[in-house]
Amino acid sequence: MSLLHAMLLSDPAPEAVAQGAAAGHGEDPAEILMHHVLDVPGFLGPLSKHLVFFAVVATLVIVIVRLALRGYKDGLPRTPLANAVEAILVFIRDEIAEKNIGHDGHRFVPLLASFFFFILTAALFGLMPFSATSTGNLSVTFALAFVSFLAQQWAGISKFGVVHHFTGLVPPGLPAWLLPIMIPVEIIGVFSKPFALMVRLFANMIAGHMVITALLMLIPLMAQMSTFLGLAIAPVSIGLALFIMLLEVLVAFIQAYIFTLLSAIFIGMYAHPAH
Amino acid sequence: MDPKALAYFAAGIGAGLTIIGGAGGIGRLAASAMDGISRQPGSAGDIRGAMIVAAGLIEGATFFALIVTILLALK
Repeated sequence: MSLLHAMLLSDPAPEAVAQGAAAGHGEDPAEILMHHVLDVPGFLGPLSKHLVFFAVVATLVIVIVRLALRGYKDGLPRTPLANAVEAILVFIRDEIAEKNIGHDGHRFVPLLASFFFFILTAALFGLMPFSATSTGNLSVTFALAFVSFLAQQWAGISKFGVVHHFTGLVPPGLPAWLLPIMIPVEIIGVFSKPFALMVRLFANMIAGHMVITALLMLIPLMAQMSTFLGLAIAPVSIGLALFIMLLEVLVAFIQAYIFTLLSAIFIGMYAHPAH
Repeated sequence: MDPKALAYFAAGIGAGLTIIGGAGGIGRLAASAMDGISRQPGSAGDIRGAMIVAAGLIEGATFFALIVTILLALK
């Protein structure tokens, strides 16, 4: 509720609150708008809304990719869906994994493809009415970034062994007096990479919804002052919100690409620390 | 002054400064990329890919600052 007040920058009219309280939640327009952005606990039994849509999106991705797999005959894609999925997979393998990780990059293609398809589907699913963007939740992006963190460390450890991996973090040939500075810097670097992934995805997924909410919230805010102002601002608000919606479709693809690409770059950094 | 008003004040100024930094960074990046593409149209694809990565990194740093300003307004 405090977020709501911050966005309105004033308390809602007392009668609106009383009405909302009497009729249960979902009656106040601001409440409906914010419920699309924030997590709703107890949406389906003990599960919160983001958790439900997280499961729905994950199931959807598995089903779609399995369906695409059934479109293969004699090792070639025969259905449109199989062709579409293969086009993205080949792009991830050749342009993201092989280019940034190197010749052994194909080992990480399943992980990178899972990141890409899940983030893309979650973001696009969140644009539908009555749904929620599960990646607009810090816990979900933390989990994704944590998997990416484990993959980065495993890339180094599996190639060089535990000791060499951690000693190789500091560039060789440094003067000894630089070590007290470089060792903490490199340790911070290890954790700041997945942290940046986590915050970037979360902020991008929630930012567009916040802007749309603020634009649509202008309508009840203006209507509280006068009916004419409310009617006058409505087409402007809806037009701008529609534009941001279209931008969100673009952002969904770009963020899925960036998360996958940066994961690949970080994995490549630990797999080839010399350059 | 009321501390809540001061926090909103700071959040507004912070959001403005954030957008100045982010827009300046991405603007310079896009200008250089355009320059590079017009000089070497053959490597437009590579330049575009590198530009998107750098834009993502700038955007990440911008979002850190933005989240601090949002926290100022909410707490």
